[in-house]
Amino acid sequence: MTEGEPLIAVQSVRVAVSESANTTVRVDGVSKQYDLGGTVTALDDVSLDLSAGSYTAVMGPSGSGKSTLLNLIGGLDTPSSGQVVVNGQDVSAASEAERADIRGTEVGFVFQTFNLMPRLSAVENVALPLVFDDWDRARRRERARSLLSEVGLGDRTDHVPSELSGGQRQRVAIARALSTDPALILADEPTGNVDTETGAQILDLFDDLHAAGNTFLLVTHERHVAERAERIVHVEDGHIQSVEDVSGGEH
Amino acid sequence: MDTGESVRITLRSIRAHKLRSALTVVGVVIGIASVITFATFGASVEAEIVGDIETSNAGNIYVFGTPSGDDDFDRTLQPVFTEHDIQELEGIAGVQAVLPRGIVQTQSVQHGNQTLARQQVTATRPASFTPGVLVEGRSFETDEEAVVVNERMAGSFSENLTAGERLTMTMPDGSERNVTVVGVVNGTRGEVPVSEFARQPRVYVPIDPFYESVVESPSAGVRQRAYPQVTLVVDPREIPETQSAIQTYLTGASDARSLSADDTELVARSGNDFVEEISDVIERITRFVTGIAVIALVVGAIGIANVMLVSVTERTREIGIMKAVGARNRDVMQVFLVEAALLGTIGSLLGVPLGLLVGYGATRYAEVTFSLAPLWMALAVGVGVLVGVVAGLYPAWRAARVDPIDALRHE
Ligand SMILES: Nc1ncnc2c1ncn2[C@@H]1O[C@H](COP(=O)(O)OP(=O)(O)OP(=O)(O)O)[C@@H](O)[C@H]1O
Ligand SMILES: [Mg+2]
Repeated sequence: MTEGEPLIAVQSVRVAVSESANTTVRVDGVSKQYDLGGTVTALDDVSLDLSAGSYTAVMGPSGSGKSTLLNLIGGLDTPSSGQVVVNGQDVSAASEAERADIRGTEVGFVFQTFNLMPRLSAVENVALPLVFDDWDRARRRERARSLLSEVGLGDRTDHVPSELSGGQRQRVAIARALSTDPALILADEPTGNVDTETGAQILDLFDDLHAAGNTFLLVTHERHVAERAERIVHVEDGHIQSVEDVSGGEH
Repeated sequence: MDTGESVRITLRSIRAHKLRSALTVVGVVIGIASVITFATFGASVEAEIVGDIETSNAGNIYVFGTPSGDDDFDRTLQPVFTEHDIQELEGIAGVQAVLPRGIVQTQSVQHGNQTLARQQVTATRPASFTPGVLVEGRSFETDEEAVVVNERMAGSFSENLTAGERLTMTMPDGSERNVTVVGVVNGTRGEVPVSEFARQPRVYVPIDPFYESVVESPSAGVRQRAYPQVTLVVDPREIPETQSAIQTYLTGASDARSLSADDTELVARSGNDFVEEISDVIERITRFVTGIAVIALVVGAIGIANVMLVSVTERTREIGIMKAVGARNRDVMQVFLVEAALLGTIGSLLGVPLGLLVGYGATRYAEVTFSLAPLWMALAVGVGVLVGVVAGLYPAWRAARVDPIDALRHE
């Protein structure tokens, strides 16, 4: 471990967006405060780059700002200061509608609690981002079906979430995250709600998808989960403490 | 976002809350049905009355005097239209016939051994009875001691009067006149427009020799018969021109003008004027009552708004999910607006037939012919959808503004 030696942390030099052709995500001096009577600083001057095809894990204690960081990158939230650029688009400066488009097409979310639409079937859930991306129905369903087969659920396409196991639900969510072929997949504790064995299967699926060229940013507080990634970003109290390379996976 | 998908999402949500959605729809159904009921009933009554008048009276112009500021035409009418006036009116271009009418007082009318007291006897010209109104027999002729009765009158005796039978009229001075019934009619040409069910039993007599009201004509300088009311049959293609020419004569050089009190207005009204007036009154009543029914619709709308607000709260997490996978605010808004509009639409689609059914029942009860009010029906469906949309606007706007992170954390 190389604690206390930030490798990527402080990069306050302005880099033009176009220069970073290989950079999928650039987080530059981002802070996030919440005002609830007093001010809570969830993130404090965080900078981080993710290159295309990389697999990064974010670790840290509860309340350290991991989810906040993920939400800012995914355009679910906007930073109080600093810049977030995803696939060439400045998320931090985007309008609400533009952020909605970025969420729909540039990133795919996988949540701990799956967050599937309860009354839509698996195939409809997977197709949902395509609805907002204005695909026609036939193409949506075709794409959703093929993604469901890819994650091993080709025989469950018409089941609603309540008819699926936790692991199956998470695989539907992963298929949904892939549907618009996003530049980046953001996973917030994707194995937090499933048993160890199912969690391992999900991580195997991530490995396959990573091998196929997808970029991953995964939040976890489990070491063995984080070690599936190429590197681990340690966050504490809103700061990046260190960035650890996990070469060869076996550490 | 494509509408099909928002409808699909909405239908799932409605199906998941069947009872709640059904109760909401019932509110709208009641609102729409009441509007339709009152509108159709009003339209039916109007069509019935107007239809009665229009068929026979399109080319009639009614001339009478009425106290100023009072439009009620059957007030005490003074016999002011002299024979001289009748001749002048006959000379106006477009006038095809002039039918003066006078009242002959009687003590009673007797047939066989049955006596009816105080019957209205109308003196008029033979031209009042066209073949169209004759049910049997013929018209009387001038100078003939003969009468024509209408069907109500014929039916007033225990044995129906028929042509050829005899009547005895007892005059105010006690003298009796025996007359022959030469015809039975179901109305007269040029009668004041009334609806079929407002028709009274009548006996018609020729002016000669029955009608005796005379005044001295100011223009002719001799005593002449004078009538309280005159109907002119005019060329239907020239009603407005003829009507204004008649009006000009009446207010100008007519005997009737000189013979009437200053505050009496002499008017020439066409059948269409009556139709319009009556339609206007009925329409105003219909609109008022229908307006009250609209309150029921507003209650329905509040029901939708209420259920939509609950729905938005319940589905906060779903809103978060949709936003996380790329839904713009307007997509979220659309989903909820479609739900509200769908509730409104279902409500009006059910409310229209129900309203028609109740309206039909009401017309049967009131014994008028059922007529549709297609405009109101289209309006009701439109209003139903609109009510849904308007009621859904605020909830949908609330939904659209939900913060995705808060929403995803919801529950
Ligand atoms: N909407 C909010 N309003 C106020 N404070 C918030 C909000 N969201 C997050 N915070 C605060 O920001 C800090 C970081 O929260 P965050 O959810 O990013 O932590 P986390 O690292 O994901 O924790 P966990 O591992 O428990 O999920 C916390 O102190 C939290 O209380
Ligand atoms: Mg978290």
